[in-house]
Amino acid sequence: MNASAGHLREQFDDSVQQREASTLGMWTFLATEVLFFGVLFAGYAFCRVIFPDAFAEASRHTDMLLGTLETAVLLSSSCAAALAVREVQLGGRRVATWLLLITAALGIAFLAMHGLEYVAEYREGLIPGIRYTQHGPHAASMQLFFCLYYFITGFHGLHVSIGVGLLLAMAWRTHRGAFDQDYHTPLELTALYWHLVDIVWIFVYPLIYLVGRAA
Amino acid sequence: MNTVEPAARSYLEEGYGLRSWLGTSDHKRIAILYAVAITFFFFLGGLAAALVRLELVTPAGDVMSAETYNKMFTFHGVVMVWFFLIPSIPATLGNFLLPLMIGARDMAFPRLNLFSWYLYIGGGIFTLACLLLGGVDTGWTFYTPFSTMFSNSRVMLVVVGVFVVGFSSIFTGLNFIVTIHTMRAPGMTWFRLPLFVWSMYAVALVMVLATPVLAMTLALIGLERLFGVGIFDPALGGDPLLFQHFFWFYSHPAVYIMVLPAMGVVSELITAGVRRRIFGYRFMVYAIVGIAVVGFLVWGHHMFVSGQSMYAGIVFSILSFLIAVPSAIKVFNWTATLYKGDITFDAPMLYALGFVGLFMLGGLTGLFLAATALDVSLTDTYFVVAHFHYIMVGGSVMAYLGGIHFWWPKITGRLYSEAWARFAAILMFFGFNLTFFPQYILGWEGMPRRYHEYLPQYQVLNVLSSAGATILAVSYLLPLGYLLWSLRHGARAGANPWRAQGLEWTTPSPPPLHNFARTPQVDGGPYAYEQP
Amino acid sequence: MNARAPSRQPRNHRSGPAPPSLRSNLLVLAALLVLLGLSAGSALIPMGAFNEVANLGIAAMKALLVLVFFMRLKSDSALLRLVAGTGFAWLALLIALSLADLLSRQNLLPPW
Repeated sequence: MNASAGHLREQFDDSVQQREASTLGMWTFLATEVLFFGVLFAGYAFCRVIFPDAFAEASRHTDMLLGTLETAVLLSSSCAAALAVREVQLGGRRVATWLLLITAALGIAFLAMHGLEYVAEYREGLIPGIRYTQHGPHAASMQLFFCLYYFITGFHGLHVSIGVGLLLAMAWRTHRGAFDQDYHTPLELTALYWHLVDIVWIFVYPLIYLVGRAA
Repeated sequence: MNTVEPAARSYLEEGYGLRSWLGTSDHKRIAILYAVAITFFFFLGGLAAALVRLELVTPAGDVMSAETYNKMFTFHGVVMVWFFLIPSIPATLGNFLLPLMIGARDMAFPRLNLFSWYLYIGGGIFTLACLLLGGVDTGWTFYTPFSTMFSNSRVMLVVVGVFVVGFSSIFTGLNFIVTIHTMRAPGMTWFRLPLFVWSMYAVALVMVLATPVLAMTLALIGLERLFGVGIFDPALGGDPLLFQHFFWFYSHPAVYIMVLPAMGVVSELITAGVRRRIFGYRFMVYAIVGIAVVGFLVWGHHMFVSGQSMYAGIVFSILSFLIAVPSAIKVFNWTATLYKGDITFDAPMLYALGFVGLFMLGGLTGLFLAATALDVSLTDTYFVVAHFHYIMVGGSVMAYLGGIHFWWPKITGRLYSEAWARFAAILMFFGFNLTFFPQYILGWEGMPRRYHEYLPQYQVLNVLSSAGATILAVSYLLPLGYLLWSLRHGARAGANPWRAQGLEWTTPSPPPLHNFARTPQVDGGPYAYEQP
Repeated sequence: MNARAPSRQPRNHRSGPAPPSLRSNLLVLAALLVLLGLSAGSALIPMGAFNEVANLGIAAMKALLVLVFFMRLKSDSALLRLVAGTGFAWLALLIALSLADLLSRQNLLPPW
């Protein structure tokens, strides 16, 4: 008998139905996350159309190198997460656990790098409402860019942190043999969540770091 | 299809302590948890309305200060919209009936279902804290920059409260979508689903797509208040209309969250009351889905005079006219279902008929407001107030009560007093119209909304409206009385006291824990009554 | 046969689509990193409005790669593709109609 029988919840008729329901549920949740973050992107679009020069100048104050590195780190972590699910699907356990730990580590590296960015931005006085020392013709409207920047990266960082927690929990459970070829739904769902976090950042990167660079 | 399952312990007998209720994963018990909670908030919001109507009996602002009045109508709006109307039918009747109607043992995610209720309670606690600590005066619409920069009231608390309750909505919608997609009984194809299930599906889609936008919008208000700076700040170049676009992108579909379930209930009440198939089932389905989708395209009609571009105004106006079409189709089809039918005027049917008439009136006045030229004069007057109360109260609340009465025997296993119920329904219809019809007149005569004092020429109509409100209040207290009384003293109900069609009526009243002893096999469509 | 899945291919008890190969996963990562380099590089070249087109276009391609391959949308059911598409489509609606208002605003001059 497969391991999934022990995990079958009483409201479901069989494990296929359960997996279908869980997957559909997670994808529906991801769609709500797209709309949740999407408001910030909509606000960005709106404000940038009104103040294109201010946004270009503000973007030049962001650390493009760190931003690009962070993007590379997240993209790699997505690959690691996908490989981890693949491993478990093929019956593996040890390699999968390591892959999940690597994914989590890359997530933590992302957060650390972003922390460095925040520290630098504090020193340069780029945080509206807390420490903002910019002058010049666009100083006031640049604050719109920075508000959006901290809101987007703040919410994103929160989601990364939650993702890291989930990944570590999944790594532990995988290590303990909770999943096998027939049942690994929590792992699949965690990976989907992590990929969404990556997708959000894929759009954040050019909008925050790559505006007005070709001056 | 209509045989009753052998008697088993009902869901009400599966455990008696508080923990068996607060820790339940049974969708039927969760429905009752919601019913109790929303009833509490309904009367709280009603109290705020009563105080508003009390102030408006005289032209002078002599009952409370302007600031207090602002807090009163804000609280009324916030509580009624987010803590009563939006959860009402979906979280109570939807939660209870959805698995039964599709032949499932429970929702796809029972524990998420309970978590949704706790989110509702959590959001409610923040909102009550806001009230107790001074209230909020921004209107339920939280327009910036007043809400973000200038209001001295408890905006943060209520914003957190609504943010939290929004996630209750999102998870409920998610649960409904997954349940309907994956847990229908064998033979229950999409076009064999009762219209109530279709309306739950549509409302779930709207909840899931619209509410996240509200959540982030509220978060932006909170962040701007916290840090003193944000994207709506005009000094930085922020556009207050940006807030309005975000807010109404959710809040217009929100009104369809409030009315679609009511329409679903009414289809069930009418078919059962006249014992006939619904007229034009497929078009009813298309209308439900059409309303849900087009409902996302009309939000700018709340912003005609806000500074929005004239061209956007034209587009939103045309789309707002368009959405009347599926609504009208539904009204025609309900009427056609009733035409030359053998109508029994039980309380559920009275509520359903009340819905059809009052929704139609409210919907027509919505068309007047959709015309930009008229809206310029009618916006922010009592005409708008009357319009939305006709739909939300004359429509949704009556449908909710009709549904509560109709399924009361199934939910509780008891029969309520039909005589009292008919009396309350008729009193409610009368009280409702006395309260809100004068407000249409006040509106086109120019009385603005959200004012605690008014010009003396408006007094007569205001007195009539407040008198109607008193009658309406009594008519809401009556069901509270006789329904609760029936829990102890009402006659015990059989499985199908209305002799209605539908899988829920094949279970005992009340149903057992897992609803069906064996998963039903569905052979035909809904409303399979003998008469054509 | 139940009403839930009349037209899906029959599945064995191993739930979910079969996993892609190690090679294809790594190829996707390589493609993503190349696209990243492309967007960073192109940002430094002055191309006017096309910079933004390139930036967003590349981002969309990266997102599609993640959705289709890492998140297995290609091999999973059509319903999930619809759900994913609807989320993005609704966001597009919000942005498009709001911007349409912003971009079509005109100064209404007073009649005097």
